[in-house]
Amino acid sequence: MISINKINIYKPLGVLLIAALVTTQGCKKSFLDVPPQGQQEATQFWVSPEDATKGVNSMYANLRTWENTAFAPMGVESLGSDEAEKGSTAGDATFFNAFDDFSLSSTEGQVKDLWKGQYQNINLANQVLDNIPNINMDATLKNRYLAEAKFVRAYSYFRLVRAFGDVPLRLTVPKDASEYNLPRAPATQIWAAIEKDLEEAAAVLPQTYGPTDIGRATKGAAKGIHAKAALYQKKWDLVLSLTNELMTMGYSLLPNYEALFRVPNENSSESVFEIQSQKIPSITGATTSQYAQIQGVKGVSWGGWGFNTPTQVLAAAFEPGDPRRDATILFAGETTPQGDVVPDIVGNPRMYNQKAYVPSSYWQSGFNEGADQNIRVLRYADVLLMNAEAANELGNTPLALASLEQVRKRARQGSSTILPAVTTTDKTALRLAIWHERRVELAMEYDRFFDVIRQGRGVEVFGPKGFKANRSELMPVPSDEIDLSVGVLTQNPGYN
Amino acid sequence: MKRFFTKLSVLTFLCFLCMNAALAQNITVSGTVTDGGDKTPLPGVGVQVKGTQTGTTTDASGKFALSAPANATLIFTYIGYTTQEVLVNNQTTISIELAESAQDLEAVVVVGYGTQRKIDVTGSVATVKGEEISKQASTNALSALQGKVAGVQITNSGSPGSSPTIRIRGVGSVYGSVNPLYVVDGVWYDDISFLNPNDIENMSILKDASSQSIYGVRAANGVVLITTKTGKGNISINYDGYVGYQNVTNQVEMANASEYATLVNEQAGATQFPDPSMFGEGTNWFNVIFRDALQTAHNVTVGGATEKATYNFSLGYLKQEGIVKRNDFERISARFNGSYQATNFLKLGYNAAVQQNGTADMPGGIIYKAFTAAPVVPQFYQDGTYGDPNDFPIGNATNNPRAQLDFFKQNSKNYRVTGNVFAEAKILPELTFKTSFGGEFGQAEVLGYNQVYIATVAQRNDISQLNITKGDTRNWILENTLTFDKLFGDHKLTLLAGQTAQRQKFYELTASARNVPYNTDGDLYLSLGPIDEDNPRTITDKGALATYTSYFSRVNYAFKGKYLLNASIRADGSSKFSGDQRWGYFPAIGAGWVISEEGFMKDQTTLNSLKLKASWGKVGNAGVPANLSTLLINQGPKFTAIIGGQPQPGANITSIVPPLTYWERGVGTDIGLEGTALDNKLNFELDVYEKRTEQGIFRIPVLTSIGLDDAVIIGNQATYRNRGIEVSVGYGDKSESGFGYNISGNFSLNNNKVTETVTGGNPIYSGGASSTGGQLSTRTIVGQPIGQFFGLQVAGIFQTPEEIAASLQKAAKPGDFRYVDTNNDGAIDAKDRVVLGNPNPKYTFGLNTGFSYKNFDLAVDVQGVAGVQVYNANKGLRFGSENFSKDFYDNRWHGAGTSDSYPSANIGGGDNYKPNSWYVEDGSYLRIRNIQLGYTLNNALLTKWGAQRLRVFADAQNAFNFFKYKGFTPEITNTSPIESGIDNGIYPLSATYRIGLNVSF
Repeated sequence: MISINKINIYKPLGVLLIAALVTTQGCKKSFLDVPPQGQQEATQFWVSPEDATKGVNSMYANLRTWENTAFAPMGVESLGSDEAEKGSTAGDATFFNAFDDFSLSSTEGQVKDLWKGQYQNINLANQVLDNIPNINMDATLKNRYLAEAKFVRAYSYFRLVRAFGDVPLRLTVPKDASEYNLPRAPATQIWAAIEKDLEEAAAVLPQTYGPTDIGRATKGAAKGIHAKAALYQKKWDLVLSLTNELMTMGYSLLPNYEALFRVPNENSSESVFEIQSQKIPSITGATTSQYAQIQGVKGVSWGGWGFNTPTQVLAAAFEPGDPRRDATILFAGETTPQGDVVPDIVGNPRMYNQKAYVPSSYWQSGFNEGADQNIRVLRYADVLLMNAEAANELGNTPLALASLEQVRKRARQGSSTILPAVTTTDKTALRLAIWHERRVELAMEYDRFFDVIRQGRGVEVFGPKGFKANRSELMPVPSDEIDLSVGVLTQNPGYN
Repeated sequence: MKRFFTKLSVLTFLCFLCMNAALAQNITVSGTVTDGGDKTPLPGVGVQVKGTQTGTTTDASGKFALSAPANATLIFTYIGYTTQEVLVNNQTTISIELAESAQDLEAVVVVGYGTQRKIDVTGSVATVKGEEISKQASTNALSALQGKVAGVQITNSGSPGSSPTIRIRGVGSVYGSVNPLYVVDGVWYDDISFLNPNDIENMSILKDASSQSIYGVRAANGVVLITTKTGKGNISINYDGYVGYQNVTNQVEMANASEYATLVNEQAGATQFPDPSMFGEGTNWFNVIFRDALQTAHNVTVGGATEKATYNFSLGYLKQEGIVKRNDFERISARFNGSYQATNFLKLGYNAAVQQNGTADMPGGIIYKAFTAAPVVPQFYQDGTYGDPNDFPIGNATNNPRAQLDFFKQNSKNYRVTGNVFAEAKILPELTFKTSFGGEFGQAEVLGYNQVYIATVAQRNDISQLNITKGDTRNWILENTLTFDKLFGDHKLTLLAGQTAQRQKFYELTASARNVPYNTDGDLYLSLGPIDEDNPRTITDKGALATYTSYFSRVNYAFKGKYLLNASIRADGSSKFSGDQRWGYFPAIGAGWVISEEGFMKDQTTLNSLKLKASWGKVGNAGVPANLSTLLINQGPKFTAIIGGQPQPGANITSIVPPLTYWERGVGTDIGLEGTALDNKLNFELDVYEKRTEQGIFRIPVLTSIGLDDAVIIGNQATYRNRGIEVSVGYGDKSESGFGYNISGNFSLNNNKVTETVTGGNPIYSGGASSTGGQLSTRTIVGQPIGQFFGLQVAGIFQTPEEIAASLQKAAKPGDFRYVDTNNDGAIDAKDRVVLGNPNPKYTFGLNTGFSYKNFDLAVDVQGVAGVQVYNANKGLRFGSENFSKDFYDNRWHGAGTSDSYPSANIGGGDNYKPNSWYVEDGSYLRIRNIQLGYTLNNALLTKWGAQRLRVFADAQNAFNFFKYKGFTPEITNTSPIESGIDNGIYPLSATYRIGLNVSF
């Protein structure tokens, strides 16, 4: 029995030993070393010049996200004004009413989205600024990329500071958890950071690009946003000098005001900066701007959701015969110059924002309506009006009148019976004329609300809608953000 | 060299032991072991000479032969049967019948990498027999466990083919795989929805950490061991089949068209519908999409055994229509099990399953769309065109669900081949080596065709698109174990050592093409679509790969069958972790005292057995995404910029990762008392446990001002624990008159509490996203249950402007919620938020009964949970003019004095949608889970038909439900435990009614 057992034992034991050996082999370090699957490690990024290009592209792409172009800007940057109201049907998206009647609370989702969208832009720009310097690449291109990132960062802080006032100032990518939770920096500090970035960007950026680089930030864009930042801070000398420079940089007003907002005239001679958007059929999952979709005509397939509609107050604000009224407002029942009929459906809006109108010929199912519309962030007309305002404030009335007249002249479209030239030399009267011109020239371009606030006329103009002094000038800091900061972030006055 | 000598000495020692056994004076005893119930022979029954190591197992026809002392006692042990001792007393032929055991402590149960007598188990292991599972209407084996096992909470999902969630003793893991590990015949799975419940012989649920710990790497959420049926005795053929239907229970009644129109007017504060009454009842959209759904299944099992081999083959077919039209599910499964005793010491075997299932998918969110769709919109207009919400002043938020359903075409298919081959070598009577190589080869495919159609202004598609997704699963697992089993006088010792290696690979390819023609299904090829700038053919893929290697060992020791000690350790290495964190070590220890074996218990007759046990163990969870601490590049298509009028790819870094992610560890302690009494008619078990999850991995929201793509961070965030009590009591008897009954009840109490968070004393907020309009509605904070609901307390409804003027909510409108200033600071703000409820059920219970009288049998199962709340987010999830429930219409505020509890129709406006107490509802329920009446035909008739047994039955599952919750069902399928219990994915509960047949030949 012993011997039998022994024979029987050794065979399986041998098998066991082999098995153990095999598995010991299998347990070598290599078996457990598995690289990330289908996802590249961040350490492989920011190495080549191509990485730099991709990083810069990501910033531009992010400018057209939902948070940057759709509901959030509509609520935060447009609806508080007297020119726009919620639109769509009365019961649709009623949360927007709180922007219109200033009953906003800190939990409002669109406020949080705007905050989020801007800080996403800022992170992408900070990544570029922190990492591209270490990439071995063409020095000129490298400097331009860094300047483009500074522009995007400054533009995003500009949108934040005018909406929220004091905000966390993040100029580098956080290195560890200790840098996650920043307190709000005073608005003055934010403005200073914006100006520094734009100055540095303008020093490097080219005035124009070749056809393959259209859409990137230019020297003019940096100076233009800088001028607007100066305008909001009433730095009249700076506004004047920057706009004077811009007026020598080759910009011109497009003769046809209505055509200015159509797709073929994107990136025109009047364009200072535009957020680029178009249908991208070739890349699955690429997003398009929904800016035009949310404002599009309701009840037709090529239109949109019918939000952010012009008010009667705006319609009445145009001078008699001003062609800009018809170019700004699409009326229910009208036929557009491009031949589309705006349906007249009971319960739907009576008026739509024509500046966000994209003719039906561009519509393709499967894409957001109006996906081809660029957003005109800053136009030369705005530059001229900033120039006029600064010149007037500084006592250079002839320049003020001349710059203002350039804008009105184009608006006339050759007619001699409308929009007479402004001739007053009274500083106050001229200031009001310039403000009026801004209102009608830039109507529905998300400029009006903050324009009135910086003019200090919030209660005067928006009071009837419910504007409350020392509260409604600023948006509430998102309550979730305050929760997550565990009290590091404070709330704006008048909100809880 | 040293190791070699150790092995050699062990060997010598073992040989010496064998020699000892061989020296005794013996006679040869042979016989047959059969099932006490159906008299079929039982193969594989352990036959052992008491007090020695001499033993054998019965062959495939239940026969055994061994030599034993003439005065010896033989012990017969078999899984699921009561162990029997028989005195040899000079008999050379001993044939016995083994009785199937219910919860008898003498029964043998399956534990990790082996079996143990229940009396020897020091952890907490629940067993459920296959027939308990297969007799129920559930198409998923886990679903059938609901209410059957103390401490196991099953939350069913109504959609066909889907798996329920299972929580063993409360929340284990939060992130990644939160499901138990399933081990089917030795092969590991994350999900067993492929398994035909009819193939299951036995299921063991390892509930406490000490019994789970031997599966260290994946055991943090419990382990379910499943043994499938094997053949025994003469060839037998079984048929089990049923036909039945499912329908929606507790359907939420919605406002009808005129009520809806009234509400829209109220919500808009303007007359959108001048005459609401003209619409009458309008469209009931639930009736448009729901149906009474057919369910039928047929299973044939052929099995048997010869002297040396066993074989079993089963074929199953299931067809289950979904309660939503079009949503059909079909499953065909086949299973082959076999074993062959090659030599007297070597046994070879295999288990294999081949399975295919197909689903006609339903459009995502269709039930939500039916919930919100406007009843004023008709399904079709008079002229046969689709009713269009755009023709009514009701905004953009709703659609025509009928059109959505009609133009949706997507089918999913899954194919799977899985199983293992094994060899078992009895090196010595005491020493068994087993090696098993198993795996899974699975393929999943989804084929969708978005056709060209125009239904309404918003619901149309002008460019057709074909989408094809194919996913491959390729997993293998190799396991080697060595088991040593020996009795030394009063000392019984079992030693186990083992080693495993595993690889899990997944790869998925997705492709699409536009303008593919569609005349027949044969046209659905990507290559038939044109390729140009407007018709790009896209292709993307993704994958995952993980490897594991592990070593483990266990010792089971019993002294005089009275004092028990079990201890184990497992070391796991996983590719998912790196550096020092790669290896995790998971020890466990358990001790037991069989009080009934003590001398002082000898004189009493009430108790048949009584055992006190205590155990402790550690387990881990590797079911998290790989490389959590590796920062990745975001190359998402959304980063495609338009520059120079052309799309330009972009990439950036848009996330943050913790510097280090550790293994998530579960630590559990269990103290229990179990026993049987009154001639084994009564059995009881009481367990008190603590289960702690240390350094739990989950994703928590972080400040959006960090600028991340998704403002979250994933890492080791919190430590929390579940403490609870489980009680199970069963009683069964059969009277002289033939009336038999058994009643078993189980009850568990579980308390969840967070003991530590990475945020220190600060809360982790969650439960945001669309479910609550973006508002964070849950809070996880030290000292409280995980993910409790958190928000404002509603005091009532503002009735008048005057009341508002005098309140702290000046911006409110009449009909809005009036909140409580809980901190009395003169303002209603975030600081006033209070705890509103707990999504973790405190009590779960079940009562299972069975009765038989002559040829009739009846089973009634009751089940429920209590002490839990649900956040009914559907009430406030509004973007525009979605429909309201009838309950809301009836109780809403619509003018001063009309309601002080329900707000006005403007529930989505103002501060009304903020997380608050109105949305939190009682989630308790009680359900008659199952009623089944069966009749077994008498033998005389059957013999004529050549059958052995024939039973017909009728049953009803989920037919009666009792709850206060205002949604479809308070059973909310958990997502992440920090945002569980939030109802925003409506899927109704359904009841199943069947008639069926069981035949054996």
